[in-house]
Amino acid sequence: MFDPILQLEHITKSFDGKKILNDFDLEIGRNEFVTLLGPSGCGKSTILRIIGGFVRPDSGRVFFEGQDITMLPPEKRNVNTVFQKYSLCPHKNVEENIAFGLKLKKKSSDYIRDKVKYALKLVNLDGFEKRDTLSLSGGQQQRVAIARAIVNEPEVLLLDEPLGALDLKLRHEMQRELIKIKKEVGITFLYVTHDQEEALMRSDRIIVMNKGIIQQAGDSQSIYDEPQNAFVADFIGESNIIDGIMVKDLLVNIQGVDFPCVDTGFGENNPVDVVIRPEDLEIVKAGEGYLTGQVISIIFKGAYYEIKVKVNDYEWMIQSVDPAPIGELVGLTIDPDNIQIMHKPLRDDEEVVRDE
Amino acid sequence: MNEDKVRNGNRRSLLSGPYALWIAGFTILPLIVIMKYALTDKTGAFTTANLTAIFTDPINRKALWLSLKIAVGTTLICILLSYPMVLAMKHLGLGKKGFSLFIIILPMWMNFILRVLAWQMILSNNGLLNLLLTTLGFEPVRIANTETAIMIGSVYDYLPYMMLPIFTAIMEINEDLIEAAKDLGAGGFTVFRKVIFPLSIPGLLSGFVMVFVPSMTSFVIADILGGGKLQLIGNIIEQEFTTANNWPAGSGLSVMLMLLVLISTAFTMRRKTEGRESALW
Repeated sequence: MFDPILQLEHITKSFDGKKILNDFDLEIGRNEFVTLLGPSGCGKSTILRIIGGFVRPDSGRVFFEGQDITMLPPEKRNVNTVFQKYSLCPHKNVEENIAFGLKLKKKSSDYIRDKVKYALKLVNLDGFEKRDTLSLSGGQQQRVAIARAIVNEPEVLLLDEPLGALDLKLRHEMQRELIKIKKEVGITFLYVTHDQEEALMRSDRIIVMNKGIIQQAGDSQSIYDEPQNAFVADFIGESNIIDGIMVKDLLVNIQGVDFPCVDTGFGENNPVDVVIRPEDLEIVKAGEGYLTGQVISIIFKGAYYEIKVKVNDYEWMIQSVDPAPIGELVGLTIDPDNIQIMHKPLRDDEEVVRDE
Repeated sequence: MNEDKVRNGNRRSLLSGPYALWIAGFTILPLIVIMKYALTDKTGAFTTANLTAIFTDPINRKALWLSLKIAVGTTLICILLSYPMVLAMKHLGLGKKGFSLFIIILPMWMNFILRVLAWQMILSNNGLLNLLLTTLGFEPVRIANTETAIMIGSVYDYLPYMMLPIFTAIMEINEDLIEAAKDLGAGGFTVFRKVIFPLSIPGLLSGFVMVFVPSMTSFVIADILGGGKLQLIGNIIEQEFTTANNWPAGSGLSVMLMLLVLISTAFTMRRKTEGRESALW
């Protein structure tokens, strides 16, 4: 049963005359791990700041456990935020930073001591109580920031790109730890990131946004395997997005060749977008696949090779464990299951983001 | 290679030569001369009487006490005026912030004596202030030539020196930090008490030194606004050197005053502020 803890209704917000959010709705369930994913400027951080109370929406309501909290200042809300830049007080040591919220709530010193100890253990910083915050590494500072937020036992923890400032290896480590912490404390996590890998790794539900509009919401698998438009397909993972014509149900024409597929309901002879993930394409001998083309580049990526094959004037990207020599003619084949058909974009926010 | 480095380092330290000469000629040498005068009487014999005179002579004692009162009062009022002002400026847009800063600095570009004389005009018994009060139907006040007048003048003159370092320190505080404190349940005043104020202490200490020390040692403001009736320790030192022509007594008072100021500022500075030293220490 879906038990909503946070509801955003018809939120609109503009900054300097530019509309960031327009009639935005969102519901978050108790104990959910929800990720807001989108490119920078898509409005995801603004949503978090509206929930945290740092930004007041121009119109619309925010409900927390059924109560309207739209006008409540941040210090009166039972949510806590982990900021991207840690935001630890430099004049306080680790223990004082973590105890800050509890002291304001006038908890007993025994309670505070136990809580701080527990929180430090949770973030793997046993015995760091008396350390100076400025002497800690970035990863350690972010752990302290997480501990500082969760000791207050908020109903909802807001995480604003908390791993954005960390290096890759540390980021992976912290991702796993966040899942562990989430399991241990069992509170609602609302996580904002532009990193699709981070989002896929641990969310119950991913909300992909662009230009202030929800493009797709669902679990990692459905977002990755069944993107609903070109923006989502392009933003989540690598993909080949190519024009096609839906001949009829279960048959799509790409580059003049008919491919069997599993999609229905797109009408007959309608132009569509087709998404094929690079790891789903298979290289076979020339003439044996659906398409035939020439290998134009190959890059070793560690676990696989990234191969580009040019068919007519489209360059297909293929990820394969077997190399193929440049210049060779090869065939391309694909399982019908792995062809994803999408409607052509109706609005510009559904289109692929192009770097200008 | 190491030797090269050392030699390079030595050569570079020669660059501080002009400054070292300046300090030696205009700070160290005069200090030695002053010390010599302070420790000898008029005949040239050794004595500590000049040093102890600051406490033993009742006139000196009274002047020292008045100086302390004025300096402490000026510093406190400057602090109390600076914080609300800086906090109000904090949220202004960039342009307005620059303009308000300009307004604060503007009086510093006018001649010091002129500013004090202006206050004499305003505060005198038939001055602007009383004119304003009587036209509004209030009783005129008699603050010309009082401690209050000296204090008003000192606050007016030294306020920018308190406000600017506090302004700089508070502007450096990351907005995230303030949001984080609010997020953890701190209301407006708690944010100030727990985050903004502690992080502004380096600025406050710089401001303290720049206001407390000059208002303790100055004599011009007391001369003009005190009407020559109220003597600060600075006035007495001035008179010992000029009218009384008693250099040993004046030197003794200067040395003691310097020691007192050093002790009081050192006492304030003892508190190490999270690895960042204030501007003067």
